Amino acid sequence: MYRFLRFPILLVGLFLAASSFAANSSQPALTTEDSLGPQVQQPIEFPHNRHAGLKDASDPAKGGMEINCQYCHTYARRSAVAGIPPLQKCIGCHQNIESVRNKPRIVELFKYWDAKKAVPWKKVHDLPDFVRFNHERHIKRFVEQQDRPVQEACGYCHGDVKEMTVARRQKSLAMGWCASCHEKDHPVVAEGGTPIAGQAYWYSFQKPAAAVDANTKARGPNDCWQCHK
Amino acid sequence: MIDSGSVKQMAGHPFDRRDFLKVLGWSGAAVALSGCGNTSVEDGRETVVSYVEANDYMVPGVGVYFNSTCAQCDAGCSINGRVREGRVLKLEGNPDSAINKGRLCGLGQAGVQHHYNPDRVREPLLRNGNKGEAISWEKAYALIAEKLAGVSGEEIAFLSGGVSGHLKVLLGNYLDSLGTKNHFVYEAIAPSVVRAANLKAFGVEMPRYRFDKAQVVLSFGADFLGSWVSPVHFSQQYAQFRKGVNGQRGVLIQVESKMTLTGANADRWLAVKPGTEGVLALGIINALGMATGEVAELVKGYDKARVSRETGVSTGQIDKIAALLKLRSPSLVLAGNAAEGYAHGSQNAAAINLLNQVLGNVGKTIEAPVSVPFPQMVPSKGNTVALKNMNDGLAAGKYKVVFNFAANPVFTAPGAFKFKDNFAKAGFKVAFAHYLDETALQADLVLPLDSALEDWGTQVPEYMTEGAQINIQQPLMERLHANTRGMGDILLGLIKQKKADEYKGFEDYYAYLRGAVLQNKGALGGGGVEDDTFWNDTLTQGIVKLAGTTTSLAAHASAAGLVLPAAAEADEHFPLHLIPGVTASLRDGRHTNQPWLQESPDPLTTIVWDSWVEIHPKKAAELGIVEGDIVQVTSKTGSVKAQVYLFPGIHPEAISIPVGRGHDAMGRYAKGYGVNPFQIMDAVFEAATGELAMHETRVKISKTGQRVLVVKDEGSAGALQMGRKIAGRVSTDQVDLSKEV
Ligand code: SF4
Repeated sequence: MYRFLRFPILLVGLFLAASSFAANSSQPALTTEDSLGPQVQQPIEFPHNRHAGLKDASDPAKGGMEINCQYCHTYARRSAVAGIPPLQKCIGCHQNIESVRNKPRIVELFKYWDAKKAVPWKKVHDLPDFVRFNHERHIKRFVEQQDRPVQEACGYCHGDVKEMTVARRQKSLAMGWCASCHEKDHPVVAEGGTPIAGQAYWYSFQKPAAAVDANTKARGPNDCWQCHK
Repeated sequence: MIDSGSVKQMAGHPFDRRDFLKVLGWSGAAVALSGCGNTSVEDGRETVVSYVEANDYMVPGVGVYFNSTCAQCDAGCSINGRVREGRVLKLEGNPDSAINKGRLCGLGQAGVQHHYNPDRVREPLLRNGNKGEAISWEKAYALIAEKLAGVSGEEIAFLSGGVSGHLKVLLGNYLDSLGTKNHFVYEAIAPSVVRAANLKAFGVEMPRYRFDKAQVVLSFGADFLGSWVSPVHFSQQYAQFRKGVNGQRGVLIQVESKMTLTGANADRWLAVKPGTEGVLALGIINALGMATGEVAELVKGYDKARVSRETGVSTGQIDKIAALLKLRSPSLVLAGNAAEGYAHGSQNAAAINLLNQVLGNVGKTIEAPVSVPFPQMVPSKGNTVALKNMNDGLAAGKYKVVFNFAANPVFTAPGAFKFKDNFAKAGFKVAFAHYLDETALQADLVLPLDSALEDWGTQVPEYMTEGAQINIQQPLMERLHANTRGMGDILLGLIKQKKADEYKGFEDYYAYLRGAVLQNKGALGGGGVEDDTFWNDTLTQGIVKLAGTTTSLAAHASAAGLVLPAAAEADEHFPLHLIPGVTASLRDGRHTNQPWLQESPDPLTTIVWDSWVEIHPKKAAELGIVEGDIVQVTSKTGSVKAQVYLFPGIHPEAISIPVGRGHDAMGRYAKGYGVNPFQIMDAVFEAATGELAMHETRVKISKTGQRVLVVKDEGSAGALQMGRKIAGRVSTDQVDLSKEV
């Protein structure tokens, strides 16, 4: 009886799989697509906008300070994982900023510091354990080699952080979403970037182009093992 | 680079590492992410903990490497541990060490499981009826002081495994402050009879063996590739030996009654009747015909026919061995556990040493050892004699306070000692312990120790190689559990109870160690170097290399006093010899609670997670036993039940059970797996040294009627695959050695 049923079920399954594939393949999801993550309650409501936001020319007390993301998130360019800035980093500046020293959030911050306890931040961006995303390679590629603005490069995945207070996940971070970028033809050398002859080769496993210029296009790596190690 | 300050700092600022583990591990609750089922994504729920203060070299996701010393056995291999996010992940060998040159054995690799073990003792525990009640360290110290008050030195006993380095010095000082001389050093498996025989023959207990210079190695049961003395070092020398001198590959002949890992690697493996190793050695001297004077006189009676009859080794084989030894020089002859484990073990070892001397190996492949120029730091050694003395004292109710450190006598003492019962007679028993093992369970007060990857220390190996060295042990990460302490710190705390003034300058053991090392900076090769620089360099390197002092080597092995007993009478009630198998990964069983060691298959039988009884297939057929039969093995002292494994690498008159398993405490990975052959060992002692003759126990076996499927990696018995033999076998006497070499 059960055996008898198996074949039709298999067929239906195949049909569904095929049709969903067809529906998806026609239009890959755009990298800009937003997929908001949960609003996360943090122990201290860290204002990204105040730190990284644009300066307000008329009133310096109101706008941001345009601090480079990498000033605090210093591990991203050095390691696969970005880590969270050590508490020491916050204190390093804040011990010299008397004007906000008595603000509740800063008082809270110093409480952790005095107790030498780590702030129990909640994760905002997490990937499944079978995915190995490498921050360092993305920063090398976009910031160091192609000379793109840091906020733009980080923003591909993290959204427009300079507008946020507590960070919130902006993109789905699912595989299809990653692939939507990796499958596009990108210029190998951005304007003002370092032209590297071998780039196109290692980047998309093509023979090195004779001359790499602004028109040379390449794709991101698309081997399974790049992320699933 | 890595400086002591940062390690201290790392050790000083705790943060919740368990959260880190969650970050790194697969967590239970899964959230379905769009497009992907089954994930472990924990957005917004999981905590991600950062450093409070981070050194520049600490980058999340990037490893930092620290040098330290393997504490899994006392060979003293240097380790290099990878630390990420403040957690140690993996150990490798430190290439700078002359002992292990960057290698590590499986037991050493499992060191991380000693550290992360879920069954570690975490709080000082005081006995309350059948339970251990957690108490504070202050209370524990106060309690020890109270129990020691008014107790004379005679009434105190301290039992320990081998200790060396500064810990030995500190322990000695503590015992002095208590006015006691009762320090019993007990290593359950130690080559103590061989040491004594070597001292007689060569003037040193442990000479330096040069496998790399030898052209032939003839080993009488020395498992130097698996578990004997310094296996990682010997394995490397063995590789050179196999490459050969002048392109001539070294030949290894192993003579033993039970095949060891080394035996399995030998060109020629000869099963010898248990206990007749010395007879064979004298027979070979006779066959060589090189001896003169007294020695020739001694071996005259050992003609081939007699030797072959007594040892079970064919005359043809004796000829071949003699021919090979004559042809290839220098050679190296070794006496291992199997040769020394009999009542006449000293005589066996003496005969083997005599063979070395006749062959002219002394000074060539047997060299003078070097040792550190600080005699107070060389390891303390001891074996069953010490345990027996203590056991006698315990039986007589002599001791009011007993300490136990780095030994598990309730598990390893031969059953005939009734150690557990005698131990109960001591007034107040303190155990310094990592696990609640069999001995700690009997204690009144259990003090939890740091793991070797959390603690400070120095270690001096007994077996040195090129030059002497002092190994540094340093924390690779901070404590996992807030309430464990280093042994050095505990001793310092205890000694301050007696000599507060003398030791008040040392805040902790780290300060003591640093002070002691810097005090001898000149002798340690740091003359003229800044203190901080020298200390930081020392920690970075993890080894202090010294020129060392060389003890001179003598060659006075002689025939005098060498009398081998007549072949042992067959015992009709207990017809079989029990050979306790010492395996490379379990050794004396102190690390059995590390699951990798349980899970890695025994190299010869491929059995995992259980004990077995090795029986020769012929013997088994005779007794009507097949693989998987549960048999009862009974000696005069006791009996155990275990599954049978048919093993052609054992003498038909012997059976073998590996030691190390059969714990009834210690932890979830050790308790209840297998049987403990120590329990059924008879109290037969080696005549000259008084050490336990581990191979003298006679047993009988009987079927219980039960049968199990042996859990092992190899295929069905006989190693057949799809009905075909994987490799054809030829028995050794069918092989023409002259064609091979
Ligand atoms: S032989 Fe193995 S267990 Fe012993 S010190 Fe060396 S690595 Fe560690």
